[in-house]
Amino acid sequence: MNKLKSGFGAVGRFFADFGHAIADGDIFVKLSLVWFGAGYLGRKQYIKAIIMTALEALIIAYTVLVGIPYISDFGTLGTVQQESVFNMVTMQNEFNDYDNSFMILLFSVITLVVWAFTIYIWMYNVKNVYRLQKDQEHGKHVNNFLEDLNDYINQKFYIVLLALPIAGVVIFTVVPLIIMIFVAFTNYDQNHMPPSALFDWVGLDNFINLFGGGGMTVSFGYAFVRVLGWTLVWSFFATLTTYFGGILMALLVNGKTTMWKPMWRVLFMITIAVPQFVSLLLVRNFFADNGIMNTILQNIGLTGFLQDIGLISNNYIPFLTAPGWAHVMIIIINIWIGVPYQMLIANGVLMNIPSEQLESASIDGANSWQTFWNITMPYVFSVTGPALVTDFVKNINNFNVIYLLTSNFYTTTDQAMANSQAKETDLLVTWLFTLTQDYYNYKMAATIGIVIFVICAVFTLVAFNRVVARTGEGDFA
Amino acid sequence: MKRKYVNIVIKQVVLAVLALIWLVPIIWLVVTSFSAYNGRNTSTFFPSEWSLTQYEKLLTGADTVANFPAWFMNTLIIAIATCVISTLFVLMVAYAFACMDFRGSKGLQNLSVIVNLFPGVLSMIAVYFVLKSVGLTNSHLGLILVYSGSSGLGYLIAKGFFGTVPKALQEAAKLDGASEARCFIQVVLPMSRPIIVYTIISSFLVPWMDFVYAKMILNAGVSSQWTVAIGLYNMLDKSLINTYFGQFCAGGVLISIPISILYIIMQKFYVEGVTGGAVKG
Repeated sequence: MNKLKSGFGAVGRFFADFGHAIADGDIFVKLSLVWFGAGYLGRKQYIKAIIMTALEALIIAYTVLVGIPYISDFGTLGTVQQESVFNMVTMQNEFNDYDNSFMILLFSVITLVVWAFTIYIWMYNVKNVYRLQKDQEHGKHVNNFLEDLNDYINQKFYIVLLALPIAGVVIFTVVPLIIMIFVAFTNYDQNHMPPSALFDWVGLDNFINLFGGGGMTVSFGYAFVRVLGWTLVWSFFATLTTYFGGILMALLVNGKTTMWKPMWRVLFMITIAVPQFVSLLLVRNFFADNGIMNTILQNIGLTGFLQDIGLISNNYIPFLTAPGWAHVMIIIINIWIGVPYQMLIANGVLMNIPSEQLESASIDGANSWQTFWNITMPYVFSVTGPALVTDFVKNINNFNVIYLLTSNFYTTTDQAMANSQAKETDLLVTWLFTLTQDYYNYKMAATIGIVIFVICAVFTLVAFNRVVARTGEGDFA
Repeated sequence: MKRKYVNIVIKQVVLAVLALIWLVPIIWLVVTSFSAYNGRNTSTFFPSEWSLTQYEKLLTGADTVANFPAWFMNTLIIAIATCVISTLFVLMVAYAFACMDFRGSKGLQNLSVIVNLFPGVLSMIAVYFVLKSVGLTNSHLGLILVYSGSSGLGYLIAKGFFGTVPKALQEAAKLDGASEARCFIQVVLPMSRPIIVYTIISSFLVPWMDFVYAKMILNAGVSSQWTVAIGLYNMLDKSLINTYFGQFCAGGVLISIPISILYIIMQKFYVEGVTGGAVKG
């Protein structure tokens, strides 16, 4: 809560300072509301004045030439369909001056970001100019350009450090996210693919469709409930099994009486060091219907036994090709991939257990089992408890394990699932990926994406508050 | 006393059994790569006939499906470029948040947590369109930008480490007239060797380990443009697996050896970075 407050505080102060600057500023400060360079010109900071004026000119040029034409189409996402027109002059078929819905969306979002940035610069600039005015009035030294530059490797160094990384995040994460959020409210799919066709706003239709309403022929609601259910079940088991498995393995490897500790550690680490696209693709062939595992089990007679008691209907075990079997196998294979990873983390935590506590426990005559439950586990949990939440969220989005184990391998027999391009083993993310990559169903993919975000955000917020409140200032602080 | 020895032996045996279970698929990968048979060996665990043909085909016989040398070079170039950009970004952001005090620092960090909550795949779809509209899909530059563009968000571990570099040292340097930039480059960075090595290796490994983004960006069927991940994935297509499974295993072994070594080195530096602190520097 405090974080939130201080965040709002900083924003509030920013606006308050801006208000002061306008109210008390002189003519140059007020002029810089419309002309960014004016304030610097008044303080004889010519280079800065030129830079700011050029920046302003650039923004205005962008707004007039690119921003406004696209933004004005934002409400309709374009009206002119692409058509082929015969040109009498060149004697060829040419396209008309058509609208591209996606470009309109893209440039509208970019323009909004540019404008947001402009407003910030505009306010920041006015405040800056006002500070210069104050400095001058109080007879303080007014920086020349070189001194200003020098600021950028001193107290303003953070701007230099953060500028490019933040630009990267804005371009490659924030803008795309905003675009995808908008797409969730459009009918952008296979039948509405720019540039040959336009797409349009449809309000909440996609959400209604996803949650099972709308009476559509493609029953996304049916698939959604099942995929969501499996996503949560998978995340729960994947997180718990690897978490406790990792701790147990770490205790085993680090135990006082264990010999050759580094060797064991490296042996287990090899599984996670091999790229997942190698190890998982390999494992899925290991467990294929006609794969080596099935051959071995047939030879030792287990397959025949299972067939006799009616657990399987064919002469192989459908490890990764039948619902139920596949679900369990995926969780087991994930243990194989995930436990060594958790072991590494648990290793670090176990090494840092306060030794006084272990000593005093042994002086008090506690046996190793009691020590484990009353000292080791509470300590490990207090340190890694919050990580359980992040692991859970990570598993909700665990694309690799599911996709590499099941894509082009597991085929659903449930027609209703297949209608919405889902499989029983799909997580929300893999479903989203298939929808976009193979079926160009961007509207539903974007809608699912928003649902994933809401789920992740809710879990993170609720669980973090709980876990942090319980363990944050606990016995081991 | 006797019971204790039994205990120790049992422990080693349990560990050995576990290690064996964990290594069975890896062993299968290695032995299959030395098989003379091209397809999937389904009848026996060990190949019936040993040979080096799979490696030979993989390294010398590039065809329209398999072009391992080209994939390796592609991935290497992408990895080096990604590594340089990402490392710079991560260290810069980490220093700004850990060692500098400025208005909006908290707000930006909270924002980064929120942005991280969105599944990466979601924004990737839109990134794909953005790249397509500027003609960067199916290009390595596009993939490099995707890997490194948002890398600044992964600053947390480095920030934690920079936080442990004694403030007194930085203040002393500044009293001696060092600028903030000098303090970053000449005081904090030299004391942060473990975390720098960790950051370099981990960002170098991203393109080697990644599958999703490469599949999304390099989706045209030109196999010489692919990265190792896409190439190996494609070898296991239903229509190809019976001719290329052996080569897949050989490629898997070749790619896994350097990556595993780097990964294990990285873990060592990670542990050093998280537990060691900077005081000994």
